Amino acid sequence: MKILSMSGFVPEQICDTVRFTGFDGSERLSHYCGYAADFISQVREDASIDGAVFPKSCDSSRSIGSYIKDTGKFIYSMPVPAVRNEASVAYFAEIIKDYKSKIEQHYGVSISDDEIRARDEVISERNMKIALVNGHLKDFSYASYIREVHASLNSPYDFSESRISAGSEGKPVLLVGSFLAAAELADSIEKAGLSVVADNLPESGRLCMPVKAGIPQDDIYTKIASEILSRRTSPTQNMFDEIIGFDLDEIEYTGCKGVIFATQKYCEPYDYLFSVYKKALDGQGIPVLQLQLSDSTDGSAHAAALEAFADII
Amino acid sequence: MPDSYLVHVAGAMRSYYKDFSKYAKGREPSQKVAWVTSFTPIEILDALDIEYIYPESYSAVIAASGLEQPLLEESTRQHLSCDCCSYSCCFEGCVETGKGPRGVPPKPDVLIATNNQCNTLPGWWNILAKRYNVPLIVLDYPGEFTEDPIARAYVEKQHKDFVTKMEELSGNKLDENELAKRVENSINSVFAWKRVCACLKDKEVPPTLLFDNINFLITARCKEETSLIYNLMADEMETYPECDKSLTPLFWIGYPLWYHKDRYLTEVMDGFRVCGSNYITWWNLDYEGDSVWDKLFTAYNNTFLNLSQKTKTDRLSALVKASGAKAAVTCRNKSCKCDYVSAKNVGIPQAELEVDMIDREYLDVERANKLMSILKETIS
Repeated sequence: MKILSMSGFVPEQICDTVRFTGFDGSERLSHYCGYAADFISQVREDASIDGAVFPKSCDSSRSIGSYIKDTGKFIYSMPVPAVRNEASVAYFAEIIKDYKSKIEQHYGVSISDDEIRARDEVISERNMKIALVNGHLKDFSYASYIREVHASLNSPYDFSESRISAGSEGKPVLLVGSFLAAAELADSIEKAGLSVVADNLPESGRLCMPVKAGIPQDDIYTKIASEILSRRTSPTQNMFDEIIGFDLDEIEYTGCKGVIFATQKYCEPYDYLFSVYKKALDGQGIPVLQLQLSDSTDGSAHAAALEAFADII
Repeated sequence: MPDSYLVHVAGAMRSYYKDFSKYAKGREPSQKVAWVTSFTPIEILDALDIEYIYPESYSAVIAASGLEQPLLEESTRQHLSCDCCSYSCCFEGCVETGKGPRGVPPKPDVLIATNNQCNTLPGWWNILAKRYNVPLIVLDYPGEFTEDPIARAYVEKQHKDFVTKMEELSGNKLDENELAKRVENSINSVFAWKRVCACLKDKEVPPTLLFDNINFLITARCKEETSLIYNLMADEMETYPECDKSLTPLFWIGYPLWYHKDRYLTEVMDGFRVCGSNYITWWNLDYEGDSVWDKLFTAYNNTFLNLSQKTKTDRLSALVKASGAKAAVTCRNKSCKCDYVSAKNVGIPQAELEVDMIDREYLDVERANKLMSILKETIS
């Protein structure tokens, strides 16, 4: 079983998946997110991949299935709740159960609740380790940190602070955006004399929310659903106010001098967020640099913009 | 003198636009106002006497009035990417500048977005919520991506919570009989509209008439007069002469081009006649079910763009087959990723045109002409 997975909304506790971090693929669809197109490419072109799981959370991701349904591989489009409340947690728990059941049917395997609980412990431990480093990002090289995070998204989910290089002095910034597939962008940020001291990326800052009290522990599916839906908000969850409010608090707390808003081109959740995010930060006098990445491998062509931004702040 | 649908159309238009700034002239609406997306269960709002306004439809009206370009430019100044849905960009320009052919819609008391057609709309509604600082309610419809019992329970719970919130907003209590009456009206509207659509295949009916008049099925499907309008329209169309069968029947897949005087590319379609369109069927909602809640679930969870690719392809293929089309124009709409893949494998030759439904400057007419010539050669 080698299922390629996309997004932090896909529960890692059910079975091992290969987290999509980037692929130099041939699929190019007009006005379609390059990151999602690269995911499609890998499912289609990488013979070692035998399945795909992805959320139905944005316009590109909701149609991924249409582009890969002829591959004969396992395909699961996960209808992630678009809202957060008690009903959506209960619903998402049912979806996770359904996901597990579809894997069992397709691969002819059986996954017990005890196995899921054991995996949950491993994932929770990794997330805690990431959170500890994320709380002191100024002490580390962000480029080194994010590579360690990406490596830990796959089995054996091992994350170690000892493998992360120390940081160097730089102007402190907050990094906002979707999954940072092209880690080279982090190198460019540091080369420009900037230091990422906080982020809200799905694979990093959003994993680091303290687990809310009162999350039910007896039903493992409800626990997983509840934890995923308690994380720092994604723009696909329709709570822009909460995202902006949280980020403004973090900017103040960490002393950030500016924000780098790095997203994929044709990524409408972030495009809509940016329009109000920019106004909110302009109102506070905080500079924002928007970087639009063309696909999952676009990480090195933004040096000039980053250097200019470093000069401004 | 026979009753003409046009009289009722004028009345329905007056009623819908009465609180837009050009006509209200400072008068406050007498009802609470909701801004809704086009697949919102408006039967609930109507039964609670809440007025509902459709920003998407107004963007279409703006483009049809030829006013979209400066508003699109304004939205870019507001940091909204021009890659976003041009309905949203056009409307953002309108509310920012206060300019529109009928002024601006009455300010919302609540914003209601659904994700049963795309995920763009909730994003757009988020920026409206920031602008007006009013509550945003997102109704989450899993569609065919989730097994029925799970989706049904989730949607029904949301519909009932939605009723509670709207009761609080309006100060009215929902009478389930009134709701059932609205649902019945919607069913009648769909039935009558299907009669209208059926005329396109064989009668000398300009597709423009259907692209424009579907508006009532979108904005007023649960009003009693909508089925009256459509039945009168169908009665009239059924008397039209037969269409010119020497022209090649062509299916229009995708949105109408709202900026175009005919709503489709008449200038590149010499030798063709439009015999069908999928857009005009999108609001033919299926209100199947025993209880009113079952009916609302089926109608709004299973909208066309919320179906699996297999079901979409099956339905579209059936539509194309029933229309007798020998070729199709498939609009690759810059503003709608979800509709891109609707047209896979419909079984007839297609010309794929890069278009936008609002932005007239996006189309390359020369390229469209070339593609249509190739299409002609293919089928000749």
